[in-house]
Amino acid sequence: MLFNSFEFILFFLPLTVVVYFLLLRRHLTIAARSWLLFASLCFYSWWNVRYLPLILGSILFNYTVGGLLAEYDAGVKRGVSKKSIFLCGIVANIALLCWFKYMDFFIGTANGLLGTQLPFLKIVLPLGISFFTITQIAFLVDAYEGLVEERNLLNYALFVTFFPHLLAGPILHHSEMMPQFERLRNKVLNWKNLYLGLTLFFLGLFKKVVLADTFSAWASAGFDTTQPLSLVPAWLTSLSYTFQLYFDFSGYSDMAVGVGWMFNIRLPINFNSPYKATGMIDFWKRWHITLTNFITTYLYTPILRAMGRITFTNSLVAIFLAMLISGFWHGAGWNFIIWGGMHGAGLVVNHAWKKKKYKMPAWLGWLITFNFVNVSFVFFRAKSLAGGGQILAGMAGLNGVVLHKSLEKFSLLRDAGVTFGKWLDAIKGNDETWITAVVALVIVVSLKNSMEIVSRVRASWGWLALLLVASFWSLLDMSKVSEFLYFQF
Amino acid sequence: MINLEQLEPIFRQVFDDEAISLQRETTSDDIEEWDSLTHMNLVVALELRFKIKFALGELQKLRNVGEMLDLINRKLG
Repeated sequence: MLFNSFEFILFFLPLTVVVYFLLLRRHLTIAARSWLLFASLCFYSWWNVRYLPLILGSILFNYTVGGLLAEYDAGVKRGVSKKSIFLCGIVANIALLCWFKYMDFFIGTANGLLGTQLPFLKIVLPLGISFFTITQIAFLVDAYEGLVEERNLLNYALFVTFFPHLLAGPILHHSEMMPQFERLRNKVLNWKNLYLGLTLFFLGLFKKVVLADTFSAWASAGFDTTQPLSLVPAWLTSLSYTFQLYFDFSGYSDMAVGVGWMFNIRLPINFNSPYKATGMIDFWKRWHITLTNFITTYLYTPILRAMGRITFTNSLVAIFLAMLISGFWHGAGWNFIIWGGMHGAGLVVNHAWKKKKYKMPAWLGWLITFNFVNVSFVFFRAKSLAGGGQILAGMAGLNGVVLHKSLEKFSLLRDAGVTFGKWLDAIKGNDETWITAVVALVIVVSLKNSMEIVSRVRASWGWLALLLVASFWSLLDMSKVSEFLYFQF
Repeated sequence: MINLEQLEPIFRQVFDDEAISLQRETTSDDIEEWDSLTHMNLVVALELRFKIKFALGELQKLRNVGEMLDLINRKLG
């Protein structure tokens, strides 16, 4: 089920909230939590019930392995060591992800390298598998290292499946979630949380259906077209996707956090105005924050420790490798590996720069960072390396420059080889395209983000009016079905 | 039991800054050089100095000096 669907907003969400708090009012806390679990599983199955056994199997397996690890008594002689139980658990999770996500990539690579003719399996990626696999890997690591204290199957299953975050994050940590399902004061309907949660939800919905979906048309047209794009449409294609991705993913995260608040559950914040970043280190402190934390803790650190000595060079190598893996986690394709590699390289350069104590004016740092990120997202979006190369060639001006007819009178432009005519037709755009891109740039660079806005909300008529406008505008724009970009990862 | 004065020289060495003075409330936001990269140098320096080992899941909590001190003392105690 999608957050931006009428069945979710008008039926599923109100029903889930009302029944949850009715059960709690009668002190049926276990029933209430079971209801939330049941609702989350329905939410997941709405898309394809065939994958319900998969997620349930994954939960039971990891809960069991986690339990074995947490209760492992070194004094008692056993056939298997704690380490082998742990490794089996990790391998099983990675194997599951490989099977559903990477098989065709491996087959394609093998066919290319060895000249074999292995057929593709064409497996459908189960929704959310990348997310529920890595949160559970973190759980196993913590269980192995003795950090798992609370072990209640219902709370565990709810932590993994809780519907606001299930499909695309924020990436949760069991130690910040499981205790919340137990806390007593979380169990009374809180009108303030409900109001703020609704506000955040509709701000996110607005970002998704009004902003992201508008850019989506131009980005898709530009990336899907086979004809070479000239300078301006190539830039507008890449910028459209950069804005679409931010408004889509941060809008989704806002909605997830907002829904969490309605149940008095705090989910971690995932975005903090990333396009205001003045460096790559700064960017990753603001973009997909929960992923950054996960990568730092469970990828970068073990890689660095495995290398033995902690030197500056080793740290940089570890950062690069961690970002490369994170790229591959996003998708099975060389374009994602390049995207990860670019961000790894960007972070390495930024750290080396910082170590030398060089300075740079903030505006220049912003300009470089924003453009670097924008170019990297070309690979993130393109279906193939060649497709990404096409867009970049256009952005570099290799396919020529076509401008609007009204500029034809400037002989300077004509002399420089510029042609005039249907300048944005290739991306199905018009004047609205570049105007919207400029507006979006102003929004992401100078306006407060949704979290900052919500922190100022008071119970006043003005805020209520704003909330109503945002929600009605979004609901009117919701006629078309559009999935969230991060569902494909 | 270790105290703030024993942590200070380690911080000064790792972050290469003799002016660092620690409070329980000091966090990674207060020291310019304290980022995800130097954080690991700090963690390893602490592990070597006090002969303890931190679990991966504990590392994010170490971004606050007060919590860091409590965690080290719990491990030593």
